[in-house]
Amino acid sequence: MENIIILNASPRAPKSNSKTYAQIFQKYSKLPTEYFNINKLNHMEICNKIKQFSQLLFVFPLYADSIPVTLLNFLKTLENNPPKNKPVISVLINCGFIEPEQNDTAVKIMKIFCKQNGYVFGSVLKIGSGEAILETPFRFFVSRKIKKLADSVSKKKFCELKVTMPITKKAFLKASESYWINYGRKNGLSKEEMQTLKIE
Amino acid sequence: MKLILTDRPLNISTDNLDKSVKIIDLSTLKISNCVGCYGCWTKTPGKCVIRDDAVGVYPCIAKSDEVLYISYVKYGCYDTTMKTMLERAIPVQQAFIRLLNGETHHVQRDVAMKNAVIIAYGDISDDEKEVFEKLVERNSKNMNFKSCKVIFTTQSLLEETVNNEVRKWKI
Repeated sequence: MENIIILNASPRAPKSNSKTYAQIFQKYSKLPTEYFNINKLNHMEICNKIKQFSQLLFVFPLYADSIPVTLLNFLKTLENNPPKNKPVISVLINCGFIEPEQNDTAVKIMKIFCKQNGYVFGSVLKIGSGEAILETPFRFFVSRKIKKLADSVSKKKFCELKVTMPITKKAFLKASESYWINYGRKNGLSKEEMQTLKIE
Repeated sequence: MKLILTDRPLNISTDNLDKSVKIIDLSTLKISNCVGCYGCWTKTPGKCVIRDDAVGVYPCIAKSDEVLYISYVKYGCYDTTMKTMLERAIPVQQAFIRLLNGETHHVQRDVAMKNAVIIAYGDISDDEKEVFEKLVERNSKNMNFKSCKVIFTTQSLLEETVNNEVRKWKI
């Protein structure tokens, strides 16, 4: 039976945007799904689970231009503890920048993992402006693309998708400034305090 | 300031080296993963809320105008030790976004522009080399590199490769 294991590799998985993206995927998936957060302690538990699934979707944010250490470490454990039946691996990645292409290197790293370890690479959805888009009227654009991703995985018609806010970069800079000012304000900080040049 | 950041202990010849050269062996430090809390942007700007050894490293990264990073390569990416530190270095940036060569990137705090040399070691395939070079090129925009060079080598030739590069820094 076809089914999908969804692994959230965000360092803040329980309260991450990746979690919401995964939930949207689950809502649209025509195949049964099971969701897990990757943490330092459950690598082996997840490695043992994977054999029960025909497809695997990693959901994670871009960190320092590549995959987060949370995911890198999990992949290393998976390499040493491969499942008997290897699922097809798909990727749903998001970055805070408006250009979804900034995720490309991380996707290439995932493809190298797949190639070196004998997994078929499936679909990918690259999300730009992924930090804030869920709280904007553009949420609909992401949901629609995640539905496409879910369909492509279910039908095994694998493809590469991308989505971002449909606004100019100038408007994005303005919107992101407001977003972060509000974020700081909730912690009692002014814009000027957040802009300090001092380090430590 | 010049900085050598290595993910393993190395015998680096420091004779005649400029006193401004600092060598940090990350494998001797206790550095935990970034937890993505945004505290360094929105609670204690410029300071990581995790008070481990990383807080002594990212100010050195920020001050340096010449950096030499030495990292094992895994799947075309920095391996865990170096990648963990690079993720923990985000307090040197602000939350705010700017346009750099037409692309969105974070605004830097007081971070020197750098000439960067990355020595990437291990049994690295051509595919991995291609991706790693791309990764460093991406880093250059987010880490204030004004120039960057990637040198691939094997573990057995690593010390020799590092010392060849360090020799170029000698007075």
